[in-house]
Amino acid sequence: MAIGGKRKRNNDSDGEDDSSRRRTRTEPEKEVKEPFRPSMIKNKEKRSEVHAKVKHQKKLEKRAKSKAREAAVQRAIELGEELPEKKVPRTIENTREVDETVCKPDDEELFAGNDADEFSSILNRQHNPKILITTCRFNSTRGPAFISELLTVIPNAHYFKRGTYDLKKIVEYANKQDFTSVVVVHTNRREPNALLVIGLPNGPTAHFKLTNLVLRKDIKNHGVPTSHQPELVLNNFTTRLGHRVGRMIQSLFPQNPEFKGRRVVTFHNQRDFIFFRHHRYIFETKEIKKIESKGKKDEDGKSEKVPDHKIIARLQECGPRFTLKLVSLQHGTFDSKGGEYEWVHKPEMDTSRRRFFL
Amino acid sequence: MPRTTTLECPGCPPLRALTFDTLGLIKVVESREKQGGPKVVERWGDPDASKSVNAVSIIDRKSNPLVAVARKNGQIEILSPVTGISQATISNANDLDVQSEENSIIGLHLFAKQNLELDSRDYNLLTCTSKGNASIRSIEVPESATGSSSTNSSKTWNVCNSGNILCCKVDGNEKFALFGGKGVEVNIWDLDNCTKIWNAKSPAKNSLGIFTPTWFTSVSYLSKDDHRKFVAGTNNHQVRLYDISAQRRPVLSIDFRETPIKALAEDIDGNTIYLGNGSGDMASVDIRTGKMLGSFTGKCSGSIRSIVRHPDLPVVASCGLDGYLRLWDTNSRQLLSSVFLKQHVLHVLFDSNFIVEDTPKGADSLPSKEETIEEISDEEETIEEISDEEETIEEISDEEEIEAIPLKRKKSSRNKENVIVGSEKKKRVKESDKRKKTKGNDGNKKTTSKDKGSKLASKKKKKSSI
Repeated sequence: MAIGGKRKRNNDSDGEDDSSRRRTRTEPEKEVKEPFRPSMIKNKEKRSEVHAKVKHQKKLEKRAKSKAREAAVQRAIELGEELPEKKVPRTIENTREVDETVCKPDDEELFAGNDADEFSSILNRQHNPKILITTCRFNSTRGPAFISELLTVIPNAHYFKRGTYDLKKIVEYANKQDFTSVVVVHTNRREPNALLVIGLPNGPTAHFKLTNLVLRKDIKNHGVPTSHQPELVLNNFTTRLGHRVGRMIQSLFPQNPEFKGRRVVTFHNQRDFIFFRHHRYIFETKEIKKIESKGKKDEDGKSEKVPDHKIIARLQECGPRFTLKLVSLQHGTFDSKGGEYEWVHKPEMDTSRRRFFL
Repeated sequence: MPRTTTLECPGCPPLRALTFDTLGLIKVVESREKQGGPKVVERWGDPDASKSVNAVSIIDRKSNPLVAVARKNGQIEILSPVTGISQATISNANDLDVQSEENSIIGLHLFAKQNLELDSRDYNLLTCTSKGNASIRSIEVPESATGSSSTNSSKTWNVCNSGNILCCKVDGNEKFALFGGKGVEVNIWDLDNCTKIWNAKSPAKNSLGIFTPTWFTSVSYLSKDDHRKFVAGTNNHQVRLYDISAQRRPVLSIDFRETPIKALAEDIDGNTIYLGNGSGDMASVDIRTGKMLGSFTGKCSGSIRSIVRHPDLPVVASCGLDGYLRLWDTNSRQLLSSVFLKQHVLHVLFDSNFIVEDTPKGADSLPSKEETIEEISDEEETIEEISDEEETIEEISDEEEIEAIPLKRKKSSRNKENVIVGSEKKKRVKESDKRKKTKGNDGNKKTTSKDKGSKLASKKKKKSSI
């Protein structure tokens, strides 16, 4: 019995084997063959070996390609032909979703809207901006340090202790004292994490998330800014909303920069993140050696060197460095309960990586 | 590859809407079958911030329709919604009450019914300022478009002693008017005698003993014939149903999200209302039960200022501070199409007597529209109905073509939504994500390749086992 049973089992397994073999034979004909990838190899040693080989191969190819490209450019220069077209890498920004809200330069309504908006009196230099800076109820360590640096960045800014006042009361007070905007720095876990900019008397309220704050002392080779009025650079605020936010930021700074101070404050928008940087620049004339003398040895170079002057701009970073992201733009002054929003970020808007709002 | 996805809008039936924005511009948005989506056809007026539109009212009829527009500088303009030619302007400066920034006109109603039999060109106009000065005046609209009109103010009265009026509405029979605002309980006035007939009572303190100050932001009558039932939206994100015949306190009140209710509109059936709030959420509510039927999701990010239901077609229009005019289907609550209008759009109106002619040049034949209507009004109506039916059929078929595969999933999830009302928004978003993923080619490829990989792996296993 036992033997017979075994045999049966064997027979069964044989049958199974046959059927599975048949399947394996028939299946590859049906499917399109998968291109070989090293990740398909099971053995790790073998896999890493093959992977390294493939990687090396790719590297060589890349180098050869770039060399060929350079050679083509060189040849074109020698022959005086037109240079071959430079390839532009495809990025998320330049493949951004088509947005109808992008401002057009010939839009009459845009300019009329600009003239009518809340910031026009400051931007037309009828008023000088005067800014009140305050904090949330509790703040410590990095908060005050950040505020002291903000005070150096924004001219005509005044720090007021928050105390236990309501923000609405502070807005009222600032209105009476002819402030043009209120900036509130919010701190969470001893780290500034939000910035609230309120336009006065009836301007909009922007709520920004603040991240990646680096204070001046943590920046290597930082400079100490002078008290000159800074120049302002606003980059990439393209849409209607971005335009409005840009104008709002612009209204924090006086509109008559002192170029003598060589101070620049930059707000650079990239993928809806607004990067803040504060620099001092200098133009220097620098001697540069000629290309022919470069290849030869030093002794020959000295004899043949022809001094050539070139003006170079150098930057020195000073002041804080941080990133802002717009959370909401409220119509009117701060009102958390009965506020009306011009724009709120909602999670349902994040369905594409290539959609930007600023 | 960059996915340049556009909003999949099924397109909307032929209609014509007027929008009014902060720069005082009136933009005409028309949608025709041939053009595809709705477009801005005409723009009336020059951009001027002092002409910002505060209130609008329309007489929507076939012959000689009129639109009244109250502007920020105290001017009231009466113009034709077909041609945009101004027929009369009243500057409030010659009026007795002092016109200032704080006391601007917020309520406006142009009476349609009173002068039908008179055949005169006199129109009655109800205005209400934010300080509560209401007045009915009659205006003579001259035959020629130019020339200022003479006004003889007939009745003025004060709606409230303190507080600010924020909303004002006249019922379908044009006999009663509703007023409400910040610090002003909703009250109803008889327009014939200028007497207050009803005043609401503020709801009781809540369980914590906290009294919320009255602040009405929008009101709307439930049906055209009945002046006794109306809904009011408050700044405290509440929608209240009042019934004059029942009690002075609200019969029903519903909370909606976190930001103030900014716009209310009633459906034709008299029990559905549409509401929009300060952060751009829009929903429809069955007011008999107080249950939310569903919300309108379409990436609307700015406060909704005005919602209008089309008198005939199943279309709702909403506009607001994000500068978009959005057209929604009332039944499916899907976005039909959206038009970017650049400024903060404050009001929207439908011109329901808009009929698309089959002539190739539609824009040129616009002024002659009235004549054609008068000639073959009856026939046109039937044609319109038929065309509507056809359209709906087309729409349905289109949708089926597009979304043939995920239809089942959609249905099942919709059933779920009905059970759990609160979390439906998130689910919808997820759904849309899913759909997009399934639609996107690369997603498909990936999944298939993975499958293949797993198959291969399984094969290898089998081989090794052999």
